[in-house]
Amino acid sequence: MNGPEPTPPLPPRAFAPSTEKSLRQLFLTLFLRGRSSRGLQKEKAPKSVGRKLAMTLLFYALFGFFSIYLLRQPVFALSIYLHAMTFVFLGMFVASSAGEVLFNKEEADILLHRPITAKALLWAKIRVLVEVSLWLAGAFNLTGFFIGVAAPDSGWSFPIVHAISTVMQALFCTGSVVLIYQLCLRWFGRERLDGLMTAAQMLISIAAVAGGQIVPRLLGKFGTNLHLQVHSWWISLLPPAWFAGFDDALSGRGSGGSWVLAACGIIATTIVLWLAFGKLAEDYGAGLQNLNETVSNRPAKRVGRRWIDILVNVPPLRWWLRDSISRAAFLLTAAYLVRDRDVKLRVYPGLAPVLVMPIIFLMQQNGRHGGNDFGVAFAGGYLGLIPLMGLNLLQYSQQWQAADIFRAAPMIGPTPLFHGARRAVLCFLTLPLLLLLVLIVWLMDPQTSQLLLLLPGLLALPVYALVPGIGGHAVPLSLPTEEGKAAGRGLRMIGYMIMPVVISGLAIAANAAHYLGTFLLIETFLVSVTYVIIRLSLNKVRWPSME
Amino acid sequence: MIVLQKLTKRFGAQVAVDALSLEIPAGQIVGFLGPNGAGKSTTLKMLTGMIEPSDGTATICGFDLKKDVLEVKRHVGFVPESGAVFESLTGLEYLEMVAALYGIPQDPARARIQQFIAFFDLSFATLTEKLLGAYSKGMRRKVVITAALLHNPPVVFFDEPLDGLDANAAVGFKALIQTLAREGKTIVYSSHILDVVERVCDRVIIIDKGKLLLDGKPDELVASHSSGTLERLFTQLTGGTELERRAEDFAKTFRP
Repeated sequence: MNGPEPTPPLPPRAFAPSTEKSLRQLFLTLFLRGRSSRGLQKEKAPKSVGRKLAMTLLFYALFGFFSIYLLRQPVFALSIYLHAMTFVFLGMFVASSAGEVLFNKEEADILLHRPITAKALLWAKIRVLVEVSLWLAGAFNLTGFFIGVAAPDSGWSFPIVHAISTVMQALFCTGSVVLIYQLCLRWFGRERLDGLMTAAQMLISIAAVAGGQIVPRLLGKFGTNLHLQVHSWWISLLPPAWFAGFDDALSGRGSGGSWVLAACGIIATTIVLWLAFGKLAEDYGAGLQNLNETVSNRPAKRVGRRWIDILVNVPPLRWWLRDSISRAAFLLTAAYLVRDRDVKLRVYPGLAPVLVMPIIFLMQQNGRHGGNDFGVAFAGGYLGLIPLMGLNLLQYSQQWQAADIFRAAPMIGPTPLFHGARRAVLCFLTLPLLLLLVLIVWLMDPQTSQLLLLLPGLLALPVYALVPGIGGHAVPLSLPTEEGKAAGRGLRMIGYMIMPVVISGLAIAANAAHYLGTFLLIETFLVSVTYVIIRLSLNKVRWPSME
Repeated sequence: MIVLQKLTKRFGAQVAVDALSLEIPAGQIVGFLGPNGAGKSTTLKMLTGMIEPSDGTATICGFDLKKDVLEVKRHVGFVPESGAVFESLTGLEYLEMVAALYGIPQDPARARIQQFIAFFDLSFATLTEKLLGAYSKGMRRKVVITAALLHNPPVVFFDEPLDGLDANAAVGFKALIQTLAREGKTIVYSSHILDVVERVCDRVIIIDKGKLLLDGKPDELVASHSSGTLERLFTQLTGGTELERRAEDFAKTFRP
């Protein structure tokens, strides 16, 4: 080591780069590259992230292409669709990113002792969130900008007006999520902040996903009569309608109702921004400090055993979890499903569409000619996706490095860990949803023949649950969260969704031809053979290379 | 240089730091010791403006912690125990970002970073090409130490700075802080490696349960308590005398 040369005195601050600019650049880089990148080279990281972002934008743009169905529709109908879908996407994005961006615990040790104000930190983060939100919104609305020009009551002003309303909506979305966090912090304090943030994020994400499924169907139902709803009292309760009203007022028919909605949008956005970034911004600094404070060692409230310990020690789980490794993986997975914010935010909103879709199908089909057969069969088929997606999502964790302990343990491969996680997902995610679905089907139409149509999907469920483990994958909590953000995951999900449609289609055809029993027998045979083959192949799986 | 006046931090009913008062002049290396949960890290976090004191106050370089927290932050450097960094930045990007937060323009910042690279035997290629997430623990610690000293602060707080450093780097680091102290910087050094503290520090402060237990020169304290070493003195004061016997008993349970 060479001795350091004397360092020069600090230069005057007037010539220094702006703190705001540095912070904005920092958070944008962190957002694009992800926060944890062990083992990555600089060249690879931005490229892979850039590619992922480009793929995501392309995916959004393709999804936005569906607005072509609203060609020649009035401005308000088109705008409410575009704003509703943008609201869903932005809501999901901001809700899933904001917690990590705004309240990262490690960040305190890095930044809180530097000479920067809480307000500067907050603004830099908000700018990044809004900026990325606008990219996503822009990609989704790309087709809509052109479609709007062709609307019967619109003109060339539509793209400009719609761009302004989309920016307002992005600010409203970001501001609302930030406001929720700040209010949680102010009203409920440090101890409960983490749990509340998780719950708030989960609810926003689930609502956004559910809304995304419901809104297009509502639009389909209203069809061309949607413009009549501008004057409905209830429409002013829906934020996307405010921004659609803005479009309609300035580039559409400009009815009185539209002006009222536009005013609602402007006022709501102003209030939210003022509260979130102005009035409560000081609380943000306190919030960061609170997260940084050591939690006091409060005595444990419970004196008895934990519910999960009791559960695994009574049959049938006691028999099912005879293998100690599977049992440990089961307990680990269950603990993370209940306690870990990051895992909960990935798993529950990730499963929300799988939950919502069958219910929507059941409701749509109910009362139609031919009964509710497709809805029930489809719902049964969709259940199989729950373990498949749940196990895929459970691979990712912020504490993924801790999974090195699995490799250090005397195991020839990851299969016992996978089985433990699989059983936890079946017990805590699939079983409750199955019971809920059976209840809904039964309430809608209490015929046994209807419930029988759930069987084709249910029979395939054990095979679905084994699929993620093929090739030594789906080891719980073993991959960095950044890898879970790949845009390819959305495409894979579409691939997964085809299978339930095929199974339910075949089941309905068999049922219509009065061959459901035979179909079930053949399916049972095929599923059993596939199950045995996959189980045997899983037993041979060794640890994948760490390179 | 550092003056604490009844500095207190409460977390609910629990008092983490209990009316701590002391003065540390410029150019001194102070070992800040205590068992786990004694309140060391909380005190350091308060003195670096990371958390607010519940009561009392402190002044650093004449700036009041409550009134001029940004000025306090400009005058201190801090190496936190966690060694946290933004893992998806390269070493150079991280250090330049830190320099920018202290208002150091890019050219002088690079020149200063070069000095640290040379001192810590870091490879410039590694610093520019690899993301921090790919660094070894020791390399990362060197970057964190560099980030703490980059703005040439008159007061530096080190919380377990040797964690992860190899033997050569540790020797170099100890020599560095002794030289920095001779140049007039105040060093507060919190560590559990007591023989290092004994050799490096001019003064030792031991706290437990947030209260000051002992304050003085290491050799004088050891002599006055007839304990032989600082480690023995520490265990005497913090109730660790039974540890050796307990360790023996525990080790016996591993017999086949």
